[in-house]
Amino acid sequence: MRKNKSFETAAILARWALGALFVYMGLKKAMHPAEFLKLVRQYEMVHSPFLLNSIAAVLPWFEVFCGTLLLLGIAVRGTALTLTSVLVPFTWLVWRRALALEGLRAIPFCAVKFDCGCGAGEVFICRKLAENFILILVSCWLLSGSGRGFCARHALLSGKSVKE
Amino acid sequence: MKSAIRMIVVEAAIVAVIGLGVALAANQISPRGLALSRNYFPGGTNSIPAAPKPVQAAAVSPETNETSDAAQLSERLRDKGLQEVKRSQAEILFHDPGVRDGRIVFVDARDEDHYQEGHIPGAYELDPYHPEKKLGAVLTVCQAAEKVVVYCTGGDCEDSDTAALLLRDGGVPGQKLFVYGGGFTEWEAGHLPVETGARNSGILNKSK
Repeated sequence: MRKNKSFETAAILARWALGALFVYMGLKKAMHPAEFLKLVRQYEMVHSPFLLNSIAAVLPWFEVFCGTLLLLGIAVRGTALTLTSVLVPFTWLVWRRALALEGLRAIPFCAVKFDCGCGAGEVFICRKLAENFILILVSCWLLSGSGRGFCARHALLSGKSVKE
Repeated sequence: MKSAIRMIVVEAAIVAVIGLGVALAANQISPRGLALSRNYFPGGTNSIPAAPKPVQAAAVSPETNETSDAAQLSERLRDKGLQEVKRSQAEILFHDPGVRDGRIVFVDARDEDHYQEGHIPGAYELDPYHPEKKLGAVLTVCQAAEKVVVYCTGGDCEDSDTAALLLRDGGVPGQKLFVYGGGFTEWEAGHLPVETGARNSGILNKSK
């Protein structure tokens, strides 16, 4: 029983931490959208200016929105699924870009350092991948239904409000 | 179980749709927001910025890296139909009396914050990502000038190219336009004069 409570408390703290991180990182990018646009461009995901601009314009505020939902505890599982759906392909893109840089610079993979557009400036790739892996794990944890305490509306559709 | 998963997926879809709407509205309202239909990289479409070419570990030295970077920069500018000036030429132009009477114009293509922190004395500010703020005034000055030197941070920074292309599209003849590839970082490192605050503020700092 006590173990369950500690586990749930940890999940709530993880939810707040994840939410705060997304709000912070999102705002950092949203304050300098042109810089973020240049960083998104390096991934060569799209070649249409409209699509490129849309990604760079929308993603930071989308992160702020999702982070706020997690902080408030609204639609937690849906938000966690949305974030996982964003984090997984983004992590793959970062990994792919790092592989390209590894080849170009002829240096070991973990020595590759670049600004991936994550909001934290230049980072070593192995550290970044580890961070993203943790973020994905936390999202999956919340997706499983943990972290229900202090939620304004944990499930959007059932209409149930869970408060501690 | 199945219905629970469906509920989560539907909830995620609702979050995604509302989130996208909110994000688009926030971008629209934000004074720093991006114009979705604009091509911010007119010279190079949306291709990857020039990455360093592969080098053998044994051949790596600061000199070879510098040479390789300089060659890539020259190639990049040539591809865009732009002319390059090196630091020594930029310095000569800066000390030319033409700077005072507007025959030689320096244009800073970094954002307002960086410009305020320090720029080449007398340089005009033109952030290519928000050209609506200053483009009209800068175009007038550049059209009347004989030589226009555009710079940004230097290195991989392509904002000077973008600003130069904006000026060219605005009617400034290409033969007048020069990009100072070393940029502000090189200028500062060379202990050359730096002005802080507004243009012609008169507040001159010693470079780092």
